[in-house]
Amino acid sequence: MSGGLHIGNREAEQVHARCQTEVEVKHGVGLHARPSVTFTRLAKSFPCSIEVAVNGSDVWLNGKSIIKIMGARIRKGSMLKIRADGILAEEAIRALKGLIERNFDEEKKHGRTA
Amino acid sequence: MKKRNMAAPLRLNATSASPGVASGPAYIAEPPTAAALSQSAVSGHAELAAAIETAIDELQKLATGTDAEGGDIIDFQLEVLRDPTIAEMAGARIDANENVVFAWVGTLDGYIRELESAEEEPLRARAVDILDIKNRVLAALTGTPVKDFPAGSIYVGKDMEPSRFLAHDWSAGGGIALYAGSAAGHVALLARSRSVPMVIGAGRFLTTGGQHIRVDGDAGVIVLQMDKEGVAPIRPELTASKTVPAEDNGVLQTADGRQILLSINLNAPDEIDGIAAATAAGIGLMRSEFAVTSLADAANEEKQLAIFRRVLDWADGRSVTIRMLDVGGDKPLSGLATSPELRGIRLLLARPEITRVQARALLRAAIFGNLRVMLPMVTFPSEVDDMRQIFREEAAELARRDVPHRLPSIGMMVEVPAAALMLEQFEGADFFSFGTNDLTQYLVASTREDADFAAHREKAAQAVLRLLAYAVKLAGSKPLSICGDMAGDPRLIAELLAVGIRHFSMAPAQLPAIRSAIVGLNAGQTKAAGE
Repeated sequence: MSGGLHIGNREAEQVHARCQTEVEVKHGVGLHARPSVTFTRLAKSFPCSIEVAVNGSDVWLNGKSIIKIMGARIRKGSMLKIRADGILAEEAIRALKGLIERNFDEEKKHGRTA
Repeated sequence: MKKRNMAAPLRLNATSASPGVASGPAYIAEPPTAAALSQSAVSGHAELAAAIETAIDELQKLATGTDAEGGDIIDFQLEVLRDPTIAEMAGARIDANENVVFAWVGTLDGYIRELESAEEEPLRARAVDILDIKNRVLAALTGTPVKDFPAGSIYVGKDMEPSRFLAHDWSAGGGIALYAGSAAGHVALLARSRSVPMVIGAGRFLTTGGQHIRVDGDAGVIVLQMDKEGVAPIRPELTASKTVPAEDNGVLQTADGRQILLSINLNAPDEIDGIAAATAAGIGLMRSEFAVTSLADAANEEKQLAIFRRVLDWADGRSVTIRMLDVGGDKPLSGLATSPELRGIRLLLARPEITRVQARALLRAAIFGNLRVMLPMVTFPSEVDDMRQIFREEAAELARRDVPHRLPSIGMMVEVPAAALMLEQFEGADFFSFGTNDLTQYLVASTREDADFAAHREKAAQAVLRLLAYAVKLAGSKPLSICGDMAGDPRLIAELLAVGIRHFSMAPAQLPAIRSAIVGLNAGQTKAAGE
């Protein structure tokens, strides 16, 4: 992924990047307490900044803040823009998008829905 | 100042502030350093971070051994504690010189309100989790602890903070000797109610820590003893009056049949222990600043509610008048830096974050008894109206959250001459209580810290009585009482009755003396001052 850059392999993984994606929340679970916790914990595991905008809003919320994410009133059918800036930005976007597409891994947990 | 030969025992003249005699090793108080007085923003950040870490540790311990459901809640709370937005907002408030406890409470309250007003039930349900976190961190933010001194020793210093008096265990005896200080100050007030001998105005004298020293609060002298073997420590005498207090509910009649009410003043809440509620008509003045001795307490709604409720339970339906936090001036609150003129209701209106917490605690306490809320140091009618507005807003907020509460009657201290002279204009006040200590101070242009204040007060009694007579006429039919030191002075009772005062509130120890003074008097026949 860092093929064209004239930097060593270790630094390549630390590359400062910007990355953005858009993903639809397809499940009724929305982003209530437990899914929000899963999301912000994953976001916090990356060093880059992560921001979220809901349904075309131009207000970017801190994706590592449970308060912001939960307060964003994300519902089934909401479109989430996620952008990351900094080290491991691409990986962060990939991981967070994957989490939403997997319905926040809710099925794995206690077999419960919202 | 006072150069003395330290080789011989010496007697220093001082002024009595609380009777009794005590002796013991001297404890020399360190003058407070500038660093201790002004908490730096850096220490605020560190203090909050440490408190949050404590809360995280506690929650993680709780998490082990809970079921999945409980685990989810704790996970959520942990995530909130680690929320970068919350840390940023609280940090910005600390940078803006807000005290750390209010920075935390203010930030969290904002989110709690937001969640509570959410339309979605799952979001509203989270508000209580955040409230829980708020209180957990608040409990870890204990504020700056007051340094205690050895039990049984004699406190020697320029002055003494009320919180230090309250934190100390006086059961082993001991006393207080101040270079400056005031007999009308708050520590003197506490010392008298706890029978701790105290003298003031000694001027700076030389002692070394541990040197044997004797405080004679009856004669108003300090004796520095050189040979400590020769002197047996004297336990402070407990208040001599062994009369069984009359359980008349504080209701009595003058010789000509006028009904008089006697209530008690309360400082530290535990002073009610050992006092039968039936000996008084209720509590005419509870000084809440002695229940709220640090900013952490001031931010703690639950703690204040518990204290107020305990007093209301004790009163068992009798009237309990709680005065809102009267800090500033000569009564600093540890951790709160203010200018000297910003005190009483002026400070309460300038610091709504403190006031709203106390207003909520009072609104919630009101359902447990006959509560009246008294506002300190009111000067203008608009101040009462502004405070009423705060109570209305907080009541509406509690109603929205389904928290049980009741709007208590709200009255005011009459202790600023400008208010006393215009009393009929205070339409927003439900009742009045004369605070003669401050009234006297502002009439005679003296400060309480001034050791000569006691002498000024003595001479000014007639001027104060004339002002009271005028103010009583302006008060109309509103309930009226007096809660200053004058109310507990048997020599002045006849004149206070003459100006039309029928409700007296005083230190519990004064009850028997005032009771016996009143029953022999004719309220109708005494002449008012200046008439």
